[in-house]
Amino acid sequence: MQDRLHILEDLNMLYIRQMALSLEDTELQRKLDHEIRMREGACKLLAACSQREQALEATKSLLVCNSRILSYMGELQRRKEAQVLGKTGRRPSDSSSPAERSPCRGRVCISDLRIPLMWKDTEYFKNKGDLHRWAVFLLLQLGEHIQDTEMILVDRTLTDISFQNNMLFTEVGPDFELRLELYGACVEEEGALAGAPKRLATKLSSSLGRSSGRRVRASLDSAGGSGSSPILLPTPAVGGPRYHLLAHTTLTLAAVQDGFRTHDLTLASHEENPAWLPLYGSVCCRLAAQPLCMTQPTASGTLRVQQAGEMRNWARVHGVLKGTNLFCYRQPEDADTGEEPLLTIAINKETRVRAGELDQAPGRPFTLSVSNRYGDDEVTHTLQTESREALQSWMEALWQLFFDMSQWKQCCDEIMKIETPVPRKPPQALAKQGSLYHEMAIEPLDDIAAVTDILAQREGARLETPPPWLAMFTDQPTLPNPCSPASVAPASAWTHPLPWGRPRTFSLDAVPPDHSPGASRSVAPLPVQRSPRSRGLCSKGPPRTWLQSPV
Amino acid sequence: MSYIPGQPVTAVVQRVEIHKLRQGENLILGFSIGGGIDQDPSQNPFSEDKTDKVNGWDMTMVTHDQARKRLTKRSEEVVRLLVTRQSLQKAVQQSMLS
Repeated sequence: MQDRLHILEDLNMLYIRQMALSLEDTELQRKLDHEIRMREGACKLLAACSQREQALEATKSLLVCNSRILSYMGELQRRKEAQVLGKTGRRPSDSSSPAERSPCRGRVCISDLRIPLMWKDTEYFKNKGDLHRWAVFLLLQLGEHIQDTEMILVDRTLTDISFQNNMLFTEVGPDFELRLELYGACVEEEGALAGAPKRLATKLSSSLGRSSGRRVRASLDSAGGSGSSPILLPTPAVGGPRYHLLAHTTLTLAAVQDGFRTHDLTLASHEENPAWLPLYGSVCCRLAAQPLCMTQPTASGTLRVQQAGEMRNWARVHGVLKGTNLFCYRQPEDADTGEEPLLTIAINKETRVRAGELDQAPGRPFTLSVSNRYGDDEVTHTLQTESREALQSWMEALWQLFFDMSQWKQCCDEIMKIETPVPRKPPQALAKQGSLYHEMAIEPLDDIAAVTDILAQREGARLETPPPWLAMFTDQPTLPNPCSPASVAPASAWTHPLPWGRPRTFSLDAVPPDHSPGASRSVAPLPVQRSPRSRGLCSKGPPRTWLQSPV
Repeated sequence: MSYIPGQPVTAVVQRVEIHKLRQGENLILGFSIGGGIDQDPSQNPFSEDKTDKVNGWDMTMVTHDQARKRLTKRSEEVVRLLVTRQSLQKAVQQSMLS
């Protein structure tokens, strides 16, 4: 039976390859080929694995490859359908209607993902006995693109699951749906039957007590999710550890913000599931979006601007429409060299634009007037274009920009910074993670010295200089409190890359994670920037009180 | 060495678990908290413990009122804190050097 399934699977792959070839869609075809090869490699690796942790990595790669193949196949089918429909000459009924305006594409980046855990009191503090461990990873899908995070090992000593990855999706429309799914698997063999020979295991499973029997039954059930089907296909016939869908959520444009936000997670597995983790029910992340209209010029050309005052003195400039500004440079080269423009006109949701033909200006009657309201004043700039065609193309670009701003909403207020993700290192050999809790039980009121003894033994002498966080206990902070929002972010702010780090708690009992610990993370004084807007905090000025409350 | 309020920092912490006491029909912890991101830190008469996390909630960027609310939830009988204090670093250093 297994052999037949194998043959069927191989046949499927062959068919998929042929389909891709027939469509002559070289990019998608290349991606499909790549995934198919990766999948074959993952299958071979899984068969050759001896260690559970290697098997977990290989299974994860296999499952992700399968899902990618499926999603590319779906995309191929859609394109094939569109091709066929186009060829048969079917036209929409109202062919005379003007082309629908479509919003510009953009880039969406999600980073600093963190999922808090909520351990029950008995498990959290009295950590005696075996440390139960889980392997988890996040799968993200936007359109036909699927990205996965690294696999992280979780145990009772972690308060949240933090992923260091930063994932970028390109060619995204403002109506995007980013689906996030959390998958988990036990690192130890599932059920209470690990190590028991197979025959004994089957005998035992039919005569187990209530709770463990339920657990065994739950693990034998298929891993299908309730409601919409999960991105990940069920485990193939190859065998190996099983990943279960633990939670999911979908993020859209409304969730985009230039800062950290917390979103709700829909929990998908129940306590009987062997891979169940006590999730708090939310996920924190930074979801940023950069529409192309904000980062790339949408129109440029020669214009004439009226100089200040009543005089009919028109200066010839090179105008560039980019983001929410119309920059007027003295020369076309200035736009590239970074010279300051002669004039910058703001173009935002409140701006009003009118095209007109002036009789008074002989020779160049085609004008564009741009009005902005600043408080009670209205400022209007009048620009002359070279010809009627030029005027029309400027107006078209402006209408497109207004449309894009209405579709991309808050993403067009200011450019959100997106860092290009670093290519991920291949998963390194996983060392067995122990825990201090294995070595001793720590009562909350115990002597600090006992704990630090253990720490010293494990890590050796380090850190001659006092770490930066001790400065929290000195009387005055060294820089003024940056909680008061700056009125205008200076243009030079974008040249300083802000470290998008979060406060990290370095517990005495957890093994330090792979990324650089406190000593090497620079907390250099930065110029005063906008305050991080997590949870919508925004104070109106430097705080003057010190409140104390009984709890 | 500098610490800027509002910027990320890595610190050594200790876990503390407190079971609330019953006083009449309320559950109380029995101590007071001061400060918050909306308070003036220079007026702090103590410089002892700083709380990073309460029952999984991040406390590093909260106002005084939010912190008080998170500690006084009626439904929770146990409060788990992640706390940092100056003496932690001294203790760590002393044991390193010895």
